[in-house]
Amino acid sequence: MTTAYSTNELLVCEVARHIQDEELAFVGVGSNGRAFTLAVGIPLAAIRLAQLTHAPSAGVHWGNLLDADLSIQPTSISQDVLTNWPAGSCPVDTGYKCDMLARGAFDLCFDSAAQVDQFGNLNITAIGDYRKPKVRLVGSLAQPEHLAYVKRPIIMMDLSRQTFVPEVDFITSVGHVSRGQTRAEIGLSPGGPALVVTNKATFDFDPDSHRMRVRTLHPGVMLEEVLDNMSFMPVVPSTIGQTSEPSAHELELIRSEIDPHTTFLIA
Amino acid sequence: MKRKLASLDEALSPISSGSTIAMGGALLRRHPNAAIRSLIRRGVKDLTILGWVSTTAIDLLAAAGAVRRYEGAYAGMFSYGLAPNLRRGVESGDIEVRDFSESTMVGRYRAAAAGLPFFPVTALLGTDIARMNPEQIKPVECPFTGKTIHAVPPAEADFTIIHGYQGDEAGNVQWPIVRDTDDIDQLMASAAKRLIVTVEKIVPTSEIKKAPTMTYIPGNWVEAIVEVPFGAHPIACDSFYNEDAQHLQDYVSRCKTAAGAQAYLEEFVHGQPTHDDYLEKVGPTKLAKLKAEGTRQ
Repeated sequence: MTTAYSTNELLVCEVARHIQDEELAFVGVGSNGRAFTLAVGIPLAAIRLAQLTHAPSAGVHWGNLLDADLSIQPTSISQDVLTNWPAGSCPVDTGYKCDMLARGAFDLCFDSAAQVDQFGNLNITAIGDYRKPKVRLVGSLAQPEHLAYVKRPIIMMDLSRQTFVPEVDFITSVGHVSRGQTRAEIGLSPGGPALVVTNKATFDFDPDSHRMRVRTLHPGVMLEEVLDNMSFMPVVPSTIGQTSEPSAHELELIRSEIDPHTTFLIA
Repeated sequence: MKRKLASLDEALSPISSGSTIAMGGALLRRHPNAAIRSLIRRGVKDLTILGWVSTTAIDLLAAAGAVRRYEGAYAGMFSYGLAPNLRRGVESGDIEVRDFSESTMVGRYRAAAAGLPFFPVTALLGTDIARMNPEQIKPVECPFTGKTIHAVPPAEADFTIIHGYQGDEAGNVQWPIVRDTDDIDQLMASAAKRLIVTVEKIVPTSEIKKAPTMTYIPGNWVEAIVEVPFGAHPIACDSFYNEDAQHLQDYVSRCKTAAGAQAYLEEFVHGQPTHDDYLEKVGPTKLAKLKAEGTRQ
């Protein structure tokens, strides 16, 4: 028997399955609306779900809060809520988080972008020519570090032809191949984006071609619909699984314990 | 004890057009906005700004046409969208931006703080950030492993402006017990050549001396300290007051056009000769409400 669930709830359960016990994840502070839900809300809910099910000792560095306590249910997330959020630790400045990133302390992180390409490169810097861009975006934050150093980065983006492009205009953060060079050739550690989680399907990367590969389709989604929403052809394996549906227990946890005020899954 | 207490205009008077300025704060917290408004009123231009993750301060300077170049890890309006004036300036080619990721910007301030000629970094290998900035992000061979990494230059500014919580007339600045920490203000302060600090309140030195480990900016590093309540408005000073969401929404909406941005500057910057006038214009009732939302002061 299946219970009705939202796509966000499906994604929370899918992401939670990739979090192992005792792993440490990095989650940013996000912006607003859909971008917040994808990069912050779903990851935080997934980490809490993992903690409540198979990974009780999974940890999170949220913004600058290390071992943030996700057992509380905020009614809003404003600056003041973050300032007063209970956490095990709050390093005195972000330089320490940068050091942890560079030394490989994080197993997982969650990133979205204005553009992602077939090799998992991300662009949050500029659309068009860097020196005189069509759209100047925000810059880079620590996203280059996430893709350079974190063991299994997860890209969280809704599928669209504008954002899933053959080659990003500007490589803010390196996926598996940058301008013809592999991570090994560049001198980056193995790793790179492990998974791309979207509103219609999940993807991983083909180890031989380094290109994005369809991994699972969400229940009710046809392959054609996925391909129609991408500007490049991903690797399509001969058999494609279905994204696992949430269990009744998982849905109950999300709705009553993890996000009862709809603070995480806001859009 | 050297007395470093000054008025806002006195403290900022050495800053002239063409200077390089490092600005503290992070996202919606503690950018030195009152100081920035004062520089704009005086007509200072052609600035190179070294930031961290900047929102209102860089965008106000961009609105005033005062920025020649920005270097930092982020410039936007966080949950309020892209930085409208900076965006317009960069897209028209009037403002030059060079991007540095967080660890590379931290490395640059660490080099400046330690008096080193460069900092070695690995986060930008293979990125267009490095490819598009060969002047400042240079491949070098690690003398120990032989691997190719990058060298980035120290973040050396002529002046550094930071908005802090409370301080004394000697320039010692202390942080509160509970605060948010996604900034690098202490590092920026330690890297400064000429450091100007604005604080929410000046307290007696005897108060500071009760807890010297709470002093994150020693007075010894400071050239001038100024009491500027609500000095970060319209963004937050964590543990003192929250961000002014309504003001920020209004700002972003008006700054969609260059004319709208100029009207905003007329109303809130040029039209208010002093910071006190600005606070009066924003309104004491509204400010009190922002304060009431904070929980620790």
